Amino acid sequence: MKTYQVKDLMIPLTEYATVDEEATLFDAVTALEKAQLAFDHSRYQHRAILILDKEGKVVGKLSQIDVLRALEPKYAEMQGSNGLARYGFSRKFMKSMLTQYHLWESPLKNICHKAGEKRVRDFMYTPTEGEYVPEDAMLDEAIHQLVLGQHQSLLVTKDNDIVGILRLTDVFAAVFHVMKECSL
Amino acid sequence: MKQIENLIARIAQRININLRELNFNLTPYIQNVLPLGQLAKFYAFYGITPHHPLNFHFSHSNLAGSYFLGKCRVDHSVLYKSDIRGDELKRKDDIFLFGDHRIPVYEDERIQIRDSFLIKTLVHNYSHDPESLETFFIHDTMSMHYANIHGSPTEGCFLGTFSTVDLTTAHDCVIGRFSYVQVGEISHIHVEPGTIWIKKDKAFNFLYRYPRQKLDSYVNFKFGEGPPRGIIMDFIQERKSDFKRVFDEIHLELPITIPPGASVDRFAVIKKKTRISENVLVAQRAYIQNSFLGKGANAQENCYIVNSHLDGYDVTAHGAKIIEARLGKKVFVGFNSFLRGTPDYPLTIGEGCIVMPHTLIDLIEPLTIPSGHLVWGYISNSHDLKDHSISLEEFSKIKDGLVMGELLFEGDGEQFVEGFQHRIEHILEANGAYFDGKHNRGHAQQNQNISFNTIQPYPDGEREGLYSTISILP
Repeated sequence: MKTYQVKDLMIPLTEYATVDEEATLFDAVTALEKAQLAFDHSRYQHRAILILDKEGKVVGKLSQIDVLRALEPKYAEMQGSNGLARYGFSRKFMKSMLTQYHLWESPLKNICHKAGEKRVRDFMYTPTEGEYVPEDAMLDEAIHQLVLGQHQSLLVTKDNDIVGILRLTDVFAAVFHVMKECSL
Repeated sequence: MKQIENLIARIAQRININLRELNFNLTPYIQNVLPLGQLAKFYAFYGITPHHPLNFHFSHSNLAGSYFLGKCRVDHSVLYKSDIRGDELKRKDDIFLFGDHRIPVYEDERIQIRDSFLIKTLVHNYSHDPESLETFFIHDTMSMHYANIHGSPTEGCFLGTFSTVDLTTAHDCVIGRFSYVQVGEISHIHVEPGTIWIKKDKAFNFLYRYPRQKLDSYVNFKFGEGPPRGIIMDFIQERKSDFKRVFDEIHLELPITIPPGASVDRFAVIKKKTRISENVLVAQRAYIQNSFLGKGANAQENCYIVNSHLDGYDVTAHGAKIIEARLGKKVFVGFNSFLRGTPDYPLTIGEGCIVMPHTLIDLIEPLTIPSGHLVWGYISNSHDLKDHSISLEEFSKIKDGLVMGELLFEGDGEQFVEGFQHRIEHILEANGAYFDGKHNRGHAQQNQNISFNTIQPYPDGEREGLYSTISILP
């Protein structure tokens, strides 16, 4: 894996879906669709939207899960909804929470209204230190970060700027490519 | 202090290796939280009694202000103002019950602390790990201020401020600040701050998580800003000078009379107008001011009871605080709970209530909790109480589960309530609350005969702050 550098596999920032902090959920989803249509190098679609501040710096990330959570405001009220899986409740009990908390009773009906009203800044996720990787890092270092942090992608830096995004799917494709060359 | 610096770097490296999978970096915690100079300032001390094995071994460690009782070994560690209380360790030939197994204990159990950094931490009870009966180990672990390691062997763990691991073996885990975990065994888990998690396999699973903003106002920590902060730390800080006197003076006159069967530790703070009844236990570093403790009540390490009345047989678990409150009989206040009424807005808790570990009650109106209730989470008024309490009778009827506000409970409510009630009885028995002058002797009676010796670190030079290698035997 030392033959690949992060910059060989990353998607440049200009080809990724981005919106500013004031954008609505609808703007974000539209930007994602537009970026997906324009991006035809791979059959794997972009799955996240990057949020930029006024200076164009990346300040947050919005994943598909974040968009779904935003459509059901009760998740925000439920303190225990994030990462609940690790605490060992049964599937039956988790399912019972749907009715107990009245989840997903109306959000899909009002989806247009909500998509135009909700701002990405309220739902975006701020990447942690372990989600940045320099563009000249070798692929093994990036894989290490993806595995330890269980991330879907890493933000690629050059000096102090974010210049691209390294997707798990592209890393996997590169690994698979090497594997295919094996004479098994 | 070169050697202490090296020792701390060694501990940090070991814990970081254990926590690598969780992507947790301990170094900023261990480097900034305690000025090195503090470590050379304080003596350590140990108790000698006719009731507990005397067996200590300390090597290449700093023990500043820490207390030891029972059988204990400390190597390559920093223990700052911690209590290592080995008065409930298993004895040779005891039988340890685990499921259907009856496992004999082949020698006296020992607390073994290695490559660890404990700050103002309480270590108590005995190892509940059936795979480690004779050794209650704490290896490669850092615990922040007022953490409790209670019957819980730990290896490769970080325990945040006011966190508690109770009857749980923990491997390579991060336990966030003010979290309470009692789940038997956990490994490679990051428990978020403010999580109250009690789980018994095939019986029940209780989970409550504090809203982050609320939690931050009571307990928070920022890198580079020294010790943790928040309302609870402020409360402790305001009473710090009272403890200084207790630790500085050799002969102290207690301002109260101690009745038969009761004991007040020499390192507790007892302020005037306090009244103590028979069979009361007040442990070291407890703080009692203008309060009444009825027969068989207890105040354990790091407890504060101020302007309050406890009817009797009340359990105030390690680190709990009770201010401007009146408690009926047999009220259990769990670990590190912070219960604060005011003269205008007093708190009344009815008989037989169970206040869950790590509960925050901070009143903005007078409040009465009816007898026989289970209480948890954050409560400031009667509206909050409605969402964070339930009668024990009703809770016992739960067969599948309960979702109530932020509380998630799955399993059998009856087993949960019975488990707690059984444990409260056990605590009262162990503390000597039922002593009748002859039978049912417990800590309150055994602690009446205790002597303390002090030990000191190197005062200067490369070894400044380190204690020499010491073995203390009968």
